[in-house]
Amino acid sequence: MNAPFYKFGLFGDEASFIIAFIIGICFGFFLERAGFGSGRKLAAQFYLRDLSVLKVMFTAIITAMTGLYLLSRLGMVDLSLVYLVPTFLVPQAVGGLLLGFGFVIGGYCPGTSCVSAVTGRIDGMLYLAGMIAGLVGFAEFYPYLQNFAHMTPMGQITLPRLFNLPYGLLVFAAVLMALGAFMAGEWAEKKVGGKAPDPKGSLIGQPWRLTPVRVLAMGLLAFGLVAAVAGDPYRGSHTTIDTKDLSLRAAKGADSIQVTDLAGWIIQGRNDFKLVDLRSEKDFAAYHIPTSGNVPFASLTPDLAAHNEKIILCSDDGTEAAKAWFLLEAQGYRFVYSLDGGMRAWQDTVLFPKKVTGTDTAASEKQAQVAKYFGGAQQVEGAAVSTVAAPALPPPAPLAAPSAIGAKPQAAPQARKKKEGC
Amino acid sequence: MNTVERTPKPYWNSYWAGFSLGLVLLASFVIMGRGLGASGAFTTAVATAAHEVAPAHAENNAFYAEYLGDGSRSPLKDWLVFEILGVFVGGFLSGALANRLKFFVEKGPRITIGWRLLFAFIGGGLMAIGAKIALGCTSGQALTGGALLNVGSWAFMWCVFGGAYALAYFFRKQWI
Repeated sequence: MNAPFYKFGLFGDEASFIIAFIIGICFGFFLERAGFGSGRKLAAQFYLRDLSVLKVMFTAIITAMTGLYLLSRLGMVDLSLVYLVPTFLVPQAVGGLLLGFGFVIGGYCPGTSCVSAVTGRIDGMLYLAGMIAGLVGFAEFYPYLQNFAHMTPMGQITLPRLFNLPYGLLVFAAVLMALGAFMAGEWAEKKVGGKAPDPKGSLIGQPWRLTPVRVLAMGLLAFGLVAAVAGDPYRGSHTTIDTKDLSLRAAKGADSIQVTDLAGWIIQGRNDFKLVDLRSEKDFAAYHIPTSGNVPFASLTPDLAAHNEKIILCSDDGTEAAKAWFLLEAQGYRFVYSLDGGMRAWQDTVLFPKKVTGTDTAASEKQAQVAKYFGGAQQVEGAAVSTVAAPALPPPAPLAAPSAIGAKPQAAPQARKKKEGC
Repeated sequence: MNTVERTPKPYWNSYWAGFSLGLVLLASFVIMGRGLGASGAFTTAVATAAHEVAPAHAENNAFYAEYLGDGSRSPLKDWLVFEILGVFVGGFLSGALANRLKFFVEKGPRITIGWRLLFAFIGGGLMAIGAKIALGCTSGQALTGGALLNVGSWAFMWCVFGGAYALAYFFRKQWI
């Protein structure tokens, strides 16, 4: 079995939407079954009267966590292909606090408010309206917030990697913590809420009686124990190189990215990839593509990034990038690409492109705009000067105002830093 | 509406509901290689609406631009949008099957309907801002990232609980 199925191309985007709809139906169904359409039930968590939020959330977390661990360990799922939201520690902590405030004030979180509204609760509908208003407000204030939102970036990182502990051990720790919290929660419900524990549905009370809920808890504990001793769930601790696959991908050009595509992504402010400049520090200092980071070819190490991160390698003419591409593929990186043509192509096609001839003025205009954005200029065909003399490279930081074509989050701090330096 | 009010069925036991949700999340990991989400779908919807009303403004806004895609297809053709549509349908189905469909304002006995609705609106607004700063909400960050042992998600999760408990006392009349 090669999972995640979608990442292995078992089905396309259209089918994925149908799957999304079905998964959503199950998600909504079980949220409603848990009672999460009810704001009072949800908020009771924060008065220790009904700890359903804690129980449902952590049961779900450790169920998925142990299940994913076991499937990965058995080689059925490639864990490195499951998408991890990148960590920005401070903004995520602050966002969490705001979410907590919103939770106790409004009574819901985004997912549960959908269930609340659709089962007829008018407060749930107002909550959704508030959320939409909040999003519109956030968008308008985003220029002031985006520096903050990109503070303390740590990349795609898991707790095992951060603390350098075995993955399975942390799975086990999470299971233990959850089960401990459940029992403490039931105790609190009894003390604070005066709720007599339902003997069939709780973990504490009446020792030695085997109830279904206790069987579930013991099953999760057993899975956690297995995880603690069974080793690393990531595939590719013993990397085998599938030469046929690699050569096929290289032949199809699926191993490289075109400079014009990259330019577009940078302008859009996409940050789902890591741009690695393999040239020397000196060359990098002289000029580099905005948002890129410098890792000279000689100092390339196996722990460059998370294995499922999209990495784009760039070098002078693409040769070194192609070599590094193979090295990283062999290290088990999944999404490595080289920048086709390297810096030379970037210079000729993005910074100083030859004007598109013919009637396609829109394309020509876009080309000029892109070149200007990165501090270059369009070259008019036939103007002998520009074709003979190689144009000088512009300074490292982009000169164009970020609002010219669409602002970009990564370049903004860079541009600001430059201003401070002047 | 229906003249015969049938009694709502009790909610499921939390552990079994949580286990079921966990299996859904696991299925999403295995099939799609991604977890669940909620706030992202609303952001896409808002960005699309903004683009309809004021195209130039939306395209120049870095936040909206991230959710509008490259224009090659409708931004609403998005995984999370379809997932959230499913959540509405699933929630409705479950509520209908358990006789829990009813128009009313849910609140504690010590608060007026007006205040409750105002607080719901404010809470939703705060939640949206928090979710956008944190790159996810309780579904995308806490549930999904929690199961993946994601560093930011665990920090996020503790802060959600911390923030809610910190303010709980001041809003007690709304709930208990």
